Amino acid sequence: MATETDSRDSSLTLLKQGAEARVFESSFVGRKCVVKERFSKKYRHPTLDSKLTLKRLNAEARCVTKARKLGVFTPVLYAVDPVLHTLTFEYVEGPSVKDVFLEFGSRDLGEESLDNIATQIGHAIGKLHDGGLIHGDLTTSNMLLKKGTDELVLIDFGLSFTSTLPEDKAVDLYVLERAILSMHSSCGNVMDRILAAYRKSSKQWSSTLNKLAQVRQRGRKRTMVG
Amino acid sequence: MKSFNINGSTLSLALYTDVANSKELLESMQTGTLEPEVAFLNALLIPNIFPVLAAAHKTLVAKSRDSLTTRTPHSELVYNYSGSKHITESLKRCGISDSTTYILAARLDASPDEVQAIQKLINGKEIDLEELEGRANLSQIQKHYKISASELGVSSLADAIVCRIAARDAL
Repeated sequence: MATETDSRDSSLTLLKQGAEARVFESSFVGRKCVVKERFSKKYRHPTLDSKLTLKRLNAEARCVTKARKLGVFTPVLYAVDPVLHTLTFEYVEGPSVKDVFLEFGSRDLGEESLDNIATQIGHAIGKLHDGGLIHGDLTTSNMLLKKGTDELVLIDFGLSFTSTLPEDKAVDLYVLERAILSMHSSCGNVMDRILAAYRKSSKQWSSTLNKLAQVRQRGRKRTMVG
Repeated sequence: MKSFNINGSTLSLALYTDVANSKELLESMQTGTLEPEVAFLNALLIPNIFPVLAAAHKTLVAKSRDSLTTRTPHSELVYNYSGSKHITESLKRCGISDSTTYILAARLDASPDEVQAIQKLINGKEIDLEELEGRANLSQIQKHYKISASELGVSSLADAIVCRIAARDAL
């Protein structure tokens, strides 16, 4: 009888803190993992707060696993804890696309790998959208490049939902376009390459891209009256 | 038998082939006279131990909160491993039947005495846990967990199973 795999799940190291959740590094039955905890908002009514938190927790778990079923790399979901409001994911080693793109300006990364990343982004979004899944927060910091294989891994499905409307898909792409335009102007026409790849992998590209042209003119929100 | 540490508890696992007394094991389990209590898993559905550890982790969390869905932690382990919400069906598919000969035995927090008792209980040949991968029935796993080809392009079988175990209650 030998004891293997030492798991000390109590050792949590804070990686990042956002408005909705905290992200910790920890270990799960012997593997390195990431724990995402949705904390309660004290300004909300306690009943409403726990309902919303739980609903979003479950929605995120559903969307991450759905994305995998559609053939898009996402971290493996290890556990869902409805009492502590935590999700436990696989720890993906590698830099974010944001960091890689930012380095493009200073060090020469090579057109080729930039092209490769853009193609992977386009294909991944195309697969999601054809499966009726909208990521909801497509930015370059929510994309990782797996160390060694350079595979594109999408993370943070906290704002994801299912929809087949061209409108929702177009807004999803528009959010990414704005993010890339403001963060990565030095990378040139990455967005064009992403859209070219998207066109190849999504069967419904035409209605989405038409809608995207409309969204560009009016912005992310549909109505400006209110 | 090999033990794994999960949050301060242990899970002891042993893999057996050519088990001859699965009918008796099943009967004593169903009447509740199995001593010590053990979880018997259909090892054909197990590509490696990681999904079993994930299911055990889930079981231990539920146990610590007194929120087990089934009667005992060991039946809960089998139920959790199935990734489905149908208890009877889970125990049938991921547990053992009269004719099962290839079994993974699992016991939570086993004492050395209990480990020996378990080894006496099972009439079969103990083999290394490493053999799980080569002996798993891929098509049966794919069918049971409904794993599509596009998912296998980005995931190993074991990881796909873990996702289903984890996300079951969120669906």
